[in-house]
Amino acid sequence: MTHPGDIMRLEAEIAGVPADVLAVAPSTNDEVASVLRYASDSNKVVDVLGGGTHHGYGSPRQPEIVLSMGRFDQTEAWNPEDLTVVVGGGMPIERLEGMLAERSQTAVLPEVPGSSTVGGAISAGMSSLRRGRLYGTRERVLEVTLVTGDGRVVRAGGRVVKNVTGYDLPRLVVGAFGSLGVITSICLKLWPVPPAAMTVIVDDVSAADVVSRPLAVLESDDRKAVFIWGTESEVEAVSGRLRGEEIPGLDWPVDPAGSLRWSLRVPPANTSEAIAKLPGGWRYLAVHGVGDIRLASDSRQGAGALRSWAEGIGGRLVVTESPPASLPDFDPWGEPPPAIELQRRVIAQFDPRRIINPGRLAGGL
Amino acid sequence: MSLVDDLRSALSHDRVLEEPLELHLYSKDASMMRGEATCVVLTETTDEVAAVVRIAEDHRVPIVARGAGTGLTAGASPTEGGIVLSTTLMNDIEIDVDNRTAWVGAGVINLDLSTYAEPYGLHFAPDPSSQSVCTIGGNVANNSGGAHCLAEGATTSHVLGLEVVLAGGEVVVLGGEAPDSPGLDIKGIIVGSEGTLGIVTSALVRLLPLDPDVRTLLIDFETMEEATQTVSDMIAAGFVPAALEIMDQKMMVAVENWLHAGFPTDAAAMLLAEVVGETEAVTAEAALISEMAYKNNARGVELAEDEAHRAKLWKGRKSAFGALAQISPDYYLHDTVVPRSRLVETMDEVQQIADRYGLDVYNVFHAGDGNLHPLISFDASEEGMLDKVQRAGEEMVAACLRNGGALSGEHGIGLEKRDMMRASFTELDLDAQARLKEAFDPEGLFNPAKILPEGSRCFDFGGTRRPIPEGAWV
Repeated sequence: MTHPGDIMRLEAEIAGVPADVLAVAPSTNDEVASVLRYASDSNKVVDVLGGGTHHGYGSPRQPEIVLSMGRFDQTEAWNPEDLTVVVGGGMPIERLEGMLAERSQTAVLPEVPGSSTVGGAISAGMSSLRRGRLYGTRERVLEVTLVTGDGRVVRAGGRVVKNVTGYDLPRLVVGAFGSLGVITSICLKLWPVPPAAMTVIVDDVSAADVVSRPLAVLESDDRKAVFIWGTESEVEAVSGRLRGEEIPGLDWPVDPAGSLRWSLRVPPANTSEAIAKLPGGWRYLAVHGVGDIRLASDSRQGAGALRSWAEGIGGRLVVTESPPASLPDFDPWGEPPPAIELQRRVIAQFDPRRIINPGRLAGGL
Repeated sequence: MSLVDDLRSALSHDRVLEEPLELHLYSKDASMMRGEATCVVLTETTDEVAAVVRIAEDHRVPIVARGAGTGLTAGASPTEGGIVLSTTLMNDIEIDVDNRTAWVGAGVINLDLSTYAEPYGLHFAPDPSSQSVCTIGGNVANNSGGAHCLAEGATTSHVLGLEVVLAGGEVVVLGGEAPDSPGLDIKGIIVGSEGTLGIVTSALVRLLPLDPDVRTLLIDFETMEEATQTVSDMIAAGFVPAALEIMDQKMMVAVENWLHAGFPTDAAAMLLAEVVGETEAVTAEAALISEMAYKNNARGVELAEDEAHRAKLWKGRKSAFGALAQISPDYYLHDTVVPRSRLVETMDEVQQIADRYGLDVYNVFHAGDGNLHPLISFDASEEGMLDKVQRAGEEMVAACLRNGGALSGEHGIGLEKRDMMRASFTELDLDAQARLKEAFDPEGLFNPAKILPEGSRCFDFGGTRRPIPEGAWV
């Protein structure tokens, strides 16, 4: 396969990419733009690769180009006194949060990210387990720089915590799976980490009712826990009220493992009911107060009934990871979202040839 | 049939207004720019809104949605003519206590929602100063903020779903109580779009539980710099209270003359700080605020004694702009935002600009967010005054941008700041925004001429947009 010289210069070795797929690792907006322009001109499907942790979503098409964000892993600006940070889209979440923790700050991104990158979590719309108290990832994104499918470099938003200057593109890219462009730079709103924290194991999640707005109430197969943070006196007093086993600090659970992984999204009040409805053998981690339930199973048995129930109450059962061809005739997203034609028109304005991650979004977009 | 006849057969005779006085009442919002509508419609249902949109398209006339008209950037001024669609009769509230949400008609008044939710132990977090009159539809259109969005975020963080009438009169329900709706976040992009992408008829909003305890502190300083430095210090130390509001001396005097809120009129500036949460937390945090204030030479710290005292302080804060009526016939309120570490320098520059123009500037602002509201009082009947006020205002905005700020923190762009967008964004940035608009509204009938400057769409030589019309400024 021949490619223009300026694209070949960006070629890189990326583990797991087959030999007949062009792997590139650009390091500037212009380089990303030249790859995407080339891909658009020659109608080649581009797979954007961050940490590779959210690659199980949707029905992706076979890529002809893999674009690694590995070189966009810098901190461009960190202003601790403003509680903002600007990072490249390929910045690993773990590294960013580690850096921020040194100044007792957090970007409130997923707690156990594995190799996830900031750009990947934003694209997949992944949120922190603290979202019931501190809101989801969409509330953290203040500014983005995108390279659109046809190679335009576009910035939207600003590096201030409150901003209504123009359309809110920074929030639109959250959960868009790259369909509006490759996210090369992001300004995030940070949050201070208070001095004290406690994880309290409880018998029942209703025990959390004695706390006004806890940091998180999480339930998994083997544990129900209330997460508290704040001043020393507050954490001590509130933990005491919960009357459970106390684990100092925030002892975050990991998402359940299995060959099939799912995201069940229900109205918050239906969370306990959802857990009761899980097919036998399915493992779960539920964020109470939000209705965000992460699931794993070794078979699809019962998935259809669970999806029907969830969709009946305005929820969703989404496939987040599955072995190839393991779920024929089962749409990874379920029923198509509303305003699908409008979504298609919006995407066409940013990625007219539909070359970036096609098929990943709901509705086959 | 004529436009008005078509509308009257779709709605009813009395809910389509066309008398000159009626049109005049709806010719502007709370900004200083006026337009002229062909007619005003008062819709009661989503189906009626859809019918009005289809009629507007048939007649190829613009449609400008309007709530209470408290907007400050001419977002609801019909400067391109056409139909003004008032949502104020669409005011149902349907609360879901278990999920802590409510479906709220676009015409529901912000404060009415919190009042309605209070018996259930809930409230709606966004609290713009105009909350006793402004509507949820307007809040959604402008992504409104308010004093308490420092800790809880602006309107967009509290909108979980929307019912919207799109181009062609298509009605869609977006989002819902379950998190993370699949697909593009169309609801999210409609929030803050100032009625340019469609018309919101109803919103599913998040309600927060009432706080178990609260401490409100009134702190007075001998200089504005000490007040702003205290705020910068708090944020830098990783402490984000529920609200951090600053008011300067001139504004305090105006408020005191009218409301007697108990503000220290002999101080150069006051800081109104509030912390909410568990009793143990607010006690410790109130002590921390005092400590940081005294470190910056605060003269005194007063703790609100009870709910009545607290309510009085907040009323004084939220009524500040109204208090200006006793000072001068006109005022021009700006809204910009800077990084919080740049508050001191920016405030200083704003004052210097006012001094240079010989203008009176009053300051009352959301200091914790870096969201400034310099307010210029003046008499528009004075020859050349309006021009002077505009030029000074533009310089103030430019100073904020130089300090790394943004054009608007919570009031929006509308028509007022449309032509300043080029100072914040490149041609390609604006082109991307114009393309977004085009995807929603190919005919350009939803609130035309707002947000984006003329010719934002690259290669758009013959667009229908015109410069801000002569005489739009009142």
